[in-house]
Amino acid sequence: MAFQLAFAVLLRLGLALSPLRLILKDDDLLSSPLTSHSRLREGIYLFQHGIDPYSGGTFRHSPLFLSTFATVLPSSGVVCALLWLLVDAAGAWALVQIWRARSRLKSSRRDEVIAATYLLNPYIFLPSLSLSTSTFETTLHLISLMFASQGQASPALLILAISTNLSLPSLMLLPPTMLLLLTDPVSHLASPKPFPAKLTKTLPLLVEFLAYFAVLVLACSLVAGGWGWIESTWGAGILLPDLTPNPGLWWYFFTEMFDYFRPFFLMVFTMHLLIYVAPVCIKYQHDPLYATFLLLGIIAIFKPYPTLSDPGLFLSLIALFPETYPHLRYPIVTTLLHLHAALLLPLFHHLWLATGTGNANFFYASTLVFGIANGGALLDCAWAGLRVAIGEADERWVVLQE
Amino acid sequence: MQWLFLFSIALATCSASWAAHIDEEYNEELVLRALPNGKLAARFAFSTLLKGTTPRPPTKLSSDDASQHYTLFPLALGQLLREYAVTELHLTLNAGKWDYDSWGYPDEPGVGTGAELWTWMGDGAPTSIDERWKAIQNAFAGLFCASLGGMDTQRTTSPTRAFPPTGAMPHNARLRHATLPAENVCTENLTPFLKLLPCPAHAGIAALLAPHRVFDADWHGLGVHVRWRAGVGVELVLTVQAVMDPVRTSVEGKRDWSLRSLFDRTVPRACPVASSSHIKVFPPSSAVALALTPEPFWKGAAEAVYEVSQDTSDLDIAMRWPEEAKFTHPDRNLSSLSDFSVRRTLQGTTQTHGRLTVVLRNNRQTEIQTLYLETMPWHVEFYLHTLTVTCLGGKPCDHLFSNMTYIPPVPHAKPALLQAVLTLPPLATVRLSMNVRKSFLRYTEHPPDAQRGWELPPAVFIPVDSAARRMYTSPLLVDLPTPDFSMPYNVIIMSCTLIALLFGSLFNLFTRRFVVVKVYEDVARTVDVDDTKRK
Repeated sequence: MAFQLAFAVLLRLGLALSPLRLILKDDDLLSSPLTSHSRLREGIYLFQHGIDPYSGGTFRHSPLFLSTFATVLPSSGVVCALLWLLVDAAGAWALVQIWRARSRLKSSRRDEVIAATYLLNPYIFLPSLSLSTSTFETTLHLISLMFASQGQASPALLILAISTNLSLPSLMLLPPTMLLLLTDPVSHLASPKPFPAKLTKTLPLLVEFLAYFAVLVLACSLVAGGWGWIESTWGAGILLPDLTPNPGLWWYFFTEMFDYFRPFFLMVFTMHLLIYVAPVCIKYQHDPLYATFLLLGIIAIFKPYPTLSDPGLFLSLIALFPETYPHLRYPIVTTLLHLHAALLLPLFHHLWLATGTGNANFFYASTLVFGIANGGALLDCAWAGLRVAIGEADERWVVLQE
Repeated sequence: MQWLFLFSIALATCSASWAAHIDEEYNEELVLRALPNGKLAARFAFSTLLKGTTPRPPTKLSSDDASQHYTLFPLALGQLLREYAVTELHLTLNAGKWDYDSWGYPDEPGVGTGAELWTWMGDGAPTSIDERWKAIQNAFAGLFCASLGGMDTQRTTSPTRAFPPTGAMPHNARLRHATLPAENVCTENLTPFLKLLPCPAHAGIAALLAPHRVFDADWHGLGVHVRWRAGVGVELVLTVQAVMDPVRTSVEGKRDWSLRSLFDRTVPRACPVASSSHIKVFPPSSAVALALTPEPFWKGAAEAVYEVSQDTSDLDIAMRWPEEAKFTHPDRNLSSLSDFSVRRTLQGTTQTHGRLTVVLRNNRQTEIQTLYLETMPWHVEFYLHTLTVTCLGGKPCDHLFSNMTYIPPVPHAKPALLQAVLTLPPLATVRLSMNVRKSFLRYTEHPPDAQRGWELPPAVFIPVDSAARRMYTSPLLVDLPTPDFSMPYNVIIMSCTLIALLFGSLFNLFTRRFVVVKVYEDVARTVDVDDTKRK
């Protein structure tokens, strides 16, 4: 097993140093306008030349990225590729820690498998090769979940505040993270029970999160020299000014939207993303880690500017819940749909924009297939998470929903 | 006694007219410049001066304006200038690419392809500068039958370093500048243009402006220039420029020309209200003997001057090279008439990214400093961090690019503005290159002929020491990615179906209870989950 892990790391190292990253650099599937490395470098260039990068539409990264990459972290060259690999490795490590916390084991034979599902997941390592900053967001999600699983409230909330600052939809993870901090990460899927702790205990956690968040916002405003960054970064996720294609559902919908319906549908799409939080947290109140997992899947499908690393995180997290595997209804279909979409997305993107022999509808159709694939995985996991409670059924019994 | 009476009447009339009328002066001039490559650059300038007047102060826009009475100044234009308190305005409508290398610098620097409009206006009016700018575009669009209304905020910039005022300015003056490189110039623009002249098409130099000949030229353009000369008055100059090719129309391939052969007209008579009316002819500086008929009124070192006076009738100036059987084109690469040459290209095969390259060649033995101006619609975004400046042999020389100011583009709203100073070493070639990203537009933002692409405005180069020698590059055509225009309903239906499917399934899963159903002898009995557990 250790050998396999070493192989995974070496393979990733080889890929990180290969010229593949130059080809993937501006790939629309791997980096969205909010996470593109080229745009990050443009923002740093403008910042260093005394031009407010948030006065235009090219740069949409958080000021946290701007300040760290303009000062401490490298933003170009091989060092940069190694940094992204390191961040990915940290994500894999955090995922293993979550697994250990959930299975209450110091170490297990499954650790390497879990690390490998993360490190060798193409949806995770391709965005990392293209130096998309979504790699940082993914890793921060995992580290926040890791701290929450270990019951360390302050680091978990601080890191969640950072990842919310980097990408606003992460705010949806706050309720399940707080529930997780009040309970334990151990699997309770098989024995559903009402939430054991008092909900009023979430209040101090909420205040702590808001304090971290406010401090980060203030720090960002200091870096950016004003409040203009809010519209450029978070506003982009609500107003969708940049219609660059991505594997999500928003871009073509709002490219083709009638102008007078645009504000209405922007409101509907934003609200739609939010309405899942409460039901998922209520239904899975006995296992908040599973609720977080499902919410990550929902964010990956419905967020405004997704990259492949968002569904990648959701799919890698499936490794944490082996107890649900026997109850998945159609894993083969979902896998085939994913395979189908993963082949069609880059192909049709190339046909439309590079060779000019296909049109936008081809790519749009494959994003729909990708949406169905992710939705299929999400629904199956949601079903399996509830179905575990009933246990094995023999031939004389059928489990249905009333 | 009778004399005294008549005199007093005359005096009264005069003083009345002084009170009502502004003193106006009208001058017209035609400059014909024979170029070394056999072509002929013609420039008509019709200038009207409102002596002793000042532009309307913007602060007084809310109060009633004084009534306007003009005899020579075009009323339609005068009313617009006062309505929006415009201090300085330049409108040019050009077709074709001005070839600086073989034609030299134009007499009027505004030769950018398509329409270009820039105004300097004083701030402090009840209506904002941008509202007045919009109104001016619409008014001029109506006046000249041009689609200037397309110069919205997505195309408007304020490049004050590149377009400084040419006249006096009020307090708080602001610049608004926009170009429409795809605008075509044709007869429908020339006809209203000629109507603004005191002697349109019947007398004076303007009689030469036959549309079918002007628009047959290799290059042609119209210009309206208004400026305020402090202490003198408000000056309006209407210009027509054309580069004609006598060799092309000549049967024998000779470069001989006459007014009749060029314009299909002669100057029939003088314009009676013109204070002066000149035709200047500049022969090429070559050794080949040439004959100029009729004999010029006055002959200078480089030019011959004709005066169109009251006794002129059917003036037809002709220039002939009797010893030349056939014109041979000089070697194009021999020497350039401009100080430096510019070539701008947009490379790249994909519809998402490209590389903008500007190659400049200094043709002189001295170092040249020039201001480089790019006004780029938001459809094409610069990646300035990829900007490279290279000299001969690909050697990086970033120090040649300095004093950069940049206003980043705002999607769906504002264009980018890039200004920088470029230093060109003597006889050097400098290559400027950067990556650009092409934007994705909403389907309603595409023009009806979306596959044709978008014209990008020309880049402008202004030598630091001679601002009048403004140089325009040719515009670029960029191919932007297009969505499918027939899809709005389909996309709404299909995306919403997917969302509804996932939402509905999750809703179903979360709201319904699990039950275990016992299956025996075709009778199904439902049991609660808790019941089964107990068993």
